[in-house]
Amino acid sequence: MQATADPLVITLTAVARDGAIRAGRGLSGLMGQEIAIHVPSVRMGTKADACDAVGGEESVVLGAYLGISGDITGHVMLIFPVARALECVDLMCGQPTGTTTEPDELAQSAIGELGNIVGSAFVNALADRVNLILHPSPPTIINDMAIALVQSVYAEVLSQGGDVAMIDTVFEDQTGRTAGLLIIAPDPVCLDRLRAMAA
Amino acid sequence: MTSPAMEARRVSVGIGQIAVSKDVNEILVAYGLGSCIGVCFYDAQIRAAGLVHVLLPASMGKVPDSREPARFADTGIDALVKRFVELGAAPRRLTVKIAGGAAVLGAANAEKFKIGERNAEAIRERLKRHGLTPAAADIGGVRGRTLEVHVGSGKAFVRTAASPANEL
Repeated sequence: MQATADPLVITLTAVARDGAIRAGRGLSGLMGQEIAIHVPSVRMGTKADACDAVGGEESVVLGAYLGISGDITGHVMLIFPVARALECVDLMCGQPTGTTTEPDELAQSAIGELGNIVGSAFVNALADRVNLILHPSPPTIINDMAIALVQSVYAEVLSQGGDVAMIDTVFEDQTGRTAGLLIIAPDPVCLDRLRAMAA
Repeated sequence: MTSPAMEARRVSVGIGQIAVSKDVNEILVAYGLGSCIGVCFYDAQIRAAGLVHVLLPASMGKVPDSREPARFADTGIDALVKRFVELGAAPRRLTVKIAGGAAVLGAANAEKFKIGERNAEAIRERLKRHGLTPAAADIGGVRGRTLEVHVGSGKAFVRTAASPANEL
């Protein structure tokens, strides 16, 4: 992990906070109640960091993946340990925590929508920051071992010689909070632009 | 079939790592292979097992980072063969098994994420250069896999988030 004083991390933190505000606004409108998204940390990470954040290498996670197209390509992945994802579904559906017990079709649809709103908000914040046209793809539901998912995004980015930016996210309503991990991995060209702007 | 050896020690072989063991109580494990591929070798005569956890297909001439000696298929396979030869193994005696290379981000994104497929091609090609052919392979699909090889028996097992361990 790089030091938090890295100018690129500072720039990405600003992007992440902007994205969090936009995503919180979108979710609050959808759910009819105030949802806040906090961004406790932004890191240029390693595989181990990412998997620790969601409970270890073989822990099974549920989430959504969006591709980024447009002026550059990239990846956005929002993942939660399955139990935390189901809490998010209850939150979105206005149900008491524990109502949803299985990642059934309704739960997957809700997680897809969550990924769509949150992922798009962060992609738009990034696009505004670097002045590029970026389009998030429709979400794909992902439900697998955390390391298998994280590693696949890493492989795609590392094959182009890039770094992976990780943004921790915490979703909170008036009654509680639940944590997820948002991984944003822009094409290395974009990170280079951000790095140049941050210097 | 579930994997045996209650008293065995599991040795995690992370991304880009190589492990070789002659300790019959050890199980070498590559957890959560997505587009990565795990390649295991076993030489029954000297009772040695090895495992590499390959991330990408080709080094393109780059010298691998010492922290990830098996990041690439070509250099990773070469390094594992070298380690076995140093142990006294003969390449013709090696049993090779491979697993991984999935497109875990869904069929819709499979076209973009071809690294799993490219990894599999690169590994088969590199093995061939050493005169090796996998005796068993569990490659492709859309599910992540965990691959383990038991040093004591040479048996390899694959499990996914949705299925228990099956012998490879």
